[in-house]
This record gives sequence, C-alpha cells and structure tokens, in this order.
Amino acid sequence: MKKVLAMLLVTSMAISLAACGSSSSSTSTTSTTSETSEDSDSESSESTGETYKAALLLNGTLGDKSFYDSANEGLTSLEEELGSDVFTFKVEQMGGDASDESKWEPTLLDYCDSGEWDVIIIGTWQMGDALANAAEQYPDQKFMYFDEQYDFDENGNYGNIYNILYKQNEVSYLVGAAAAMLTTTEGIDGIDASTKLIGLIGGMDNAVINDFIVGYTQGATDIDSEIEIVTSFVGDFTDSAKGKELALAQFNSGVDVAFNVAGNAGLGLIEAAAETGHYAFGVDSDQAALLPDYADYIPTSALKNVGNSLILAIKADMEGTLEYGTTAIMGFAEGGVELVKDDHYEEMLPQEIRDTLDELEQQIIDGEIVVDTTIEIE
Amino acid sequence: MLSTIFSADFFSAILRCTTPILFAALAASVAQKSGICNMALEGIMLFCALFGVLFTSVTGNFLTGLILTMIAGGLIGMLLAFFVLNLKTDEILAAIAINLIAEGGTVLLMLAVSGDRGSSTSISSFSAPTIAIPLIKDIPVIGNLISGHNLMVYLALIAVVIMHIFLYKTPFGLKIRAVGENKNAAESVGISSRKIQYVALILSGVLASMGGFFMSGGYMNMFTTGMVSGRGYSALAASAMGGNNPIGAFAVSLLFGASQALSNVMQLTEIPYQLVQMLPYLVVLIGLGVYSYSVMKRRQSLAGK
Repeated sequence: MKKVLAMLLVTSMAISLAACGSSSSSTSTTSTTSETSEDSDSESSESTGETYKAALLLNGTLGDKSFYDSANEGLTSLEEELGSDVFTFKVEQMGGDASDESKWEPTLLDYCDSGEWDVIIIGTWQMGDALANAAEQYPDQKFMYFDEQYDFDENGNYGNIYNILYKQNEVSYLVGAAAAMLTTTEGIDGIDASTKLIGLIGGMDNAVINDFIVGYTQGATDIDSEIEIVTSFVGDFTDSAKGKELALAQFNSGVDVAFNVAGNAGLGLIEAAAETGHYAFGVDSDQAALLPDYADYIPTSALKNVGNSLILAIKADMEGTLEYGTTAIMGFAEGGVELVKDDHYEEMLPQEIRDTLDELEQQIIDGEIVVDTTIEIE
Repeated sequence: MLSTIFSADFFSAILRCTTPILFAALAASVAQKSGICNMALEGIMLFCALFGVLFTSVTGNFLTGLILTMIAGGLIGMLLAFFVLNLKTDEILAAIAINLIAEGGTVLLMLAVSGDRGSSTSISSFSAPTIAIPLIKDIPVIGNLISGHNLMVYLALIAVVIMHIFLYKTPFGLKIRAVGENKNAAESVGISSRKIQYVALILSGVLASMGGFFMSGGYMNMFTTGMVSGRGYSALAASAMGGNNPIGAFAVSLLFGASQALSNVMQLTEIPYQLVQMLPYLVVLIGLGVYSYSVMKRRQSLAGK
C-alpha cells in the first residue's frame, strides 16, 4: 500500500512539474507578439538609450477579442511605426480568474521595483486597489490606467497616474440614432416601421452601463422625439439565457432593434434577434465578425478603442506633453471610441442612415452635439 | 402588459424558464430521497452545458451528444458519490469543490478546444429540436400552448412522471426512500445503502446534466461562461419546498419559472427594475412561508389526533 502511495506521489509530482514546464513555455509562446520587443529589450537595456519602454500588465489574457487584444494591437502597431529602438513593450498576462487575483498586485509591484519601465499600463476597475498601493510605494513610476479612473482625491495624487476613460456615451449616441432610423425605415426585413420602439439590454445598473443608456436614449430621441426606449437589466453579465428571455420579451412587445451592453449575457440578445428575425447592435468587440452565424442580424458594433488611446497617450508622453495626475476622457475626437464601419455595415444599413451617422459623428467631434453623461470627472 | 401575459409566447417563456430548474429540482429530490444533499447540481449543469456543445459538435447530431452528456453527468454524480460514500468527505464540501472546478474548468476546457474564453460561438454545435406535435398543433388556442416547445421541455415534463413512478411505485424507489429515511433500518433488512446512494447520485447527475444540456442546446444555442447562473441552487430550494418529491418539485419549479418569466415581462413596464428583479425571490420567500405554515398545521393536526 505504501509503495502504491509513493508511486502515486511521484507521478503526481512528475505531472505537476511537467505542467509547470508547459505553462512556462506557453507563456513564452503566448507572448510571441512581443517576442521581438523582448529581444530588443535586452539590447536596449544594455545601451540604456532613449528607448521608451512600456509594460502592459493584463489582469486577464490575450484572446479576449476586446479590450486586451485592442491594447496589445495598439502597442504592436506603435512599435512597428516608430521602430523598436524608439519604442518597445512587453505584455504580461496575469490571468483573469479568481485564483489569479492574488498575483496581480505582486506582479505589478515587481514591475515597479525593476525600475526599467518608462510606463506601466494596466486597466479595468479590478486593478484599482493594486494600483493605489503601487502608486504610493513608487511615486517615480509612471502608470497609465485605462477604462477606469483612479480616484486622486481618495487615494492621494502622486502625479504618476494618467487615467484614460472612454466616452461610451458618444458611440452609444450613434447606435441609438442608428436604431431609431432603422426601426422607422420601411422595406427592411423584420422591421415594422409603424412602431417606434427600440430596446436595450443592460448587464447591471452601474455608471458605465448607464452612460451607454443615456447616450443611446439621446441619440434615438434626437432622430425622432416619439421613439420610446425599452430597457431591461439582466442583473449580471453572465446569464445569457436570461438575456435571451428578456430580449424575446422586448421583441414580442414590438421592439425591432435593440442594443446589448451586458457582456456575455448580451449574447442572448443576439441569439433572440437571429431567432425572431430582428436586429441587435454589438458592443466592445466587432460582434458581427466574431459571430459569423449571427452576422446578418448585427448591423454594427460599438467599440472602445483602447489601443488607439494608448498610442496617443504614449506619443504625448514621449514628447513630454502628457500630464500625469490627470484624467483623459476619449471620445470620437480623440479616437477613443468608434462604430464599426466595414463592408458588412455598408451592406446592412441603407445609404441615408449611414450618411446621417457620419454627419452626427462629425457634429459630435465638432462639439455641435454634446452627449449627456453619467460619468463624473474630477 | 396583460395582453403579453395571456399569450402563447408568455406560456412558452414560462416553460423555458422552468425547464432547467425542473431537471435540477428532480435531480435534487432523488438525491435527497436517498439521504444526500446534492449541492453539486450547479457545477454538474455548468459542466454539462459545455459538454453538450462539445459532444454534439463532435458527433454531429444532438441525440448522441445528449446521451454522451447524460453519461458525463452520471459520471460526475458518481464522482461525488465516491467522495461522499467511499472517502467519507463532507457532502457539502465535495459539492462546493465540484462547483468551483466547474467554474474554472469549463473556461479552461473551452479555451483549450476553441481558443475562446467567453462563449463557444466558434464551435458549431447542435441543439435539441423544437417539436410540433401532429394533430394537436392544429387545434386552435390549445395547439399553440401544447405544441411547439423544445424537445427538452417535453423530456422534463415526462421526467416528472417517470421519477414519480420510479420513486413511489417501484421496489428500487422504495429502497431509495428507505435508505433516506433511516440508513440503519434499511441495512438491517439487507439493503446495501452504499449501492442505493450510488445509484441515486448517478441518477441525480444524469437529470442535472439534461438541465445543463438544455441551457446551451435549446435555451441558448451556445455555451457562455457561467451561464447556469445559480439555477442549480434555485433547484435545491425548489426541491426542498416541494417536499423532495417529483410532483412537488415540479409545482415549485413551475412557480419559480412563472415568476421569472413574469419579472422579465414586467421589465417592459415603468415599474423600477430593482423591484421587478426582486419578484422571483419574493415568490420563493412567500412560497417557503406558506410551505412551512402548512407543514406546521399538518403536524399540529396529527398531534391533535
């Protein structure tokens, strides 16, 4: 019996060792996108030249087809544009599961401690506490913090954090306008032009989601003041079946077009739209491209362009014009948000609607239209 | 709003909301009848929601996929039984472990198979079909109510009858109930309680797996991370409130499903959504109150005799 136990122990250890081995190799392969940069890292650290070095710490993994991929793509294209002797970066994928949370802060502090990074880039509200600690312990380390604002009043301002927020209300305004025009356009399959109802499925009643709703409502009512907006909340971001159920209830009540801002639960809306022959707008990533089976029911998607915002911020920092200790909020004018306008979009939406959307976008950029917001900037 | 409620669409919404909870509630009741609280329903459903997508995708049709998923569910039930009965683990702790493994494991598995973390959209899976019952579907009004639901909905309703007959009309069902009532007494008449509880937990796993399969192959047509969202726990409550018997579990599941469907429709009104979202839970509370009151009354009247 003891022998058997010993054998079991040995095999389990061997397996766990092998697992360690494979995981470390997989991290090196997953960061192939930054492999070139890592190589040049070592060169540049020797030359200690003026290479601008950024570390992108993700509290998740690449492959989310949303925020993190966008950040990585932005930095990759910046490196290609400037050349790796001017700008390099490294991606650290810390993992996004509950069990990974314990290593976020230590990893962040390690990067701060090494002192070799011009800027450390992190994102999402989940990193807030870790950032507060790091910013206090390493006041000389610069940070960029996207899609959430570090509270300078509450946590103290050491002049080393640059907050990047996105004007989801602006892109949502365009979606609302598009939905309002689509639902009153005659001659489109699945659209009953006589009803003036549009829908929205939200995840939870929080500031960012409400910012989406405010923009959506304003965009729709600016097109036609008689448009009514039906809003349902799933209550979380995971229950896709409930999202579908809520969406079916909306479609049954006369809604033809709806917008999902509910994470995974929003996929329920897209399925419901496809099943009943109605339309759903995508969010956060190009959902028409991601869901080819449902693409016929997704005219376009609203995106936050994390990559773009980082490029702008880093370029400004290189020129020395970036003001740390402040919050930037990026809308259409700054390239922080965008509506997907590809061939699929042109196929799905009639010319007049697209023209109006382009006009509205220009008016937002020019400041002629000011979209309401629920986000307070300090 | 009233016109929405008195429509065939709303009736099928109720059935859709009820089905996953009903499968799991039946699973809970058969385990509970054998004397074990199967809290792993949530995890089993989540695993089987993903397995359903994977198996139907591999085999190319929903039926073999469903059968494989049921086998997988049974195996997880057996694993729980092994921990509880052979290794003498606490049944709640073992169940929590399975639920936690399911939460992370499904994401890991999906990532490994499809490279996606959020949903299984890149896997082409097959869902259980919608059934139009011949003849009945042509009857006005009633036809729309009875016909045209997903196959899994009908299976859930059939499962209620089968489980009732199994538990109350067969010798094996009697043994399960005997073990659940008093293990030692059952052993004294030569019933192997371990064997009985093994079977009950495997059966429980199979039933829960069908609920999981419905989530991703009928309700939705894809797997999304964490999609079971507490339905396994609601089912435990439904089973307990229904007195751990199939008919009672069915009645309470239907109540849960109806209140969920009603709250979904009520979100279309001007009533603040925070209040509306409370509705299903309020119904649970009221239901529990009525249930305990009736139990108390019965006990009093028995004592009075």
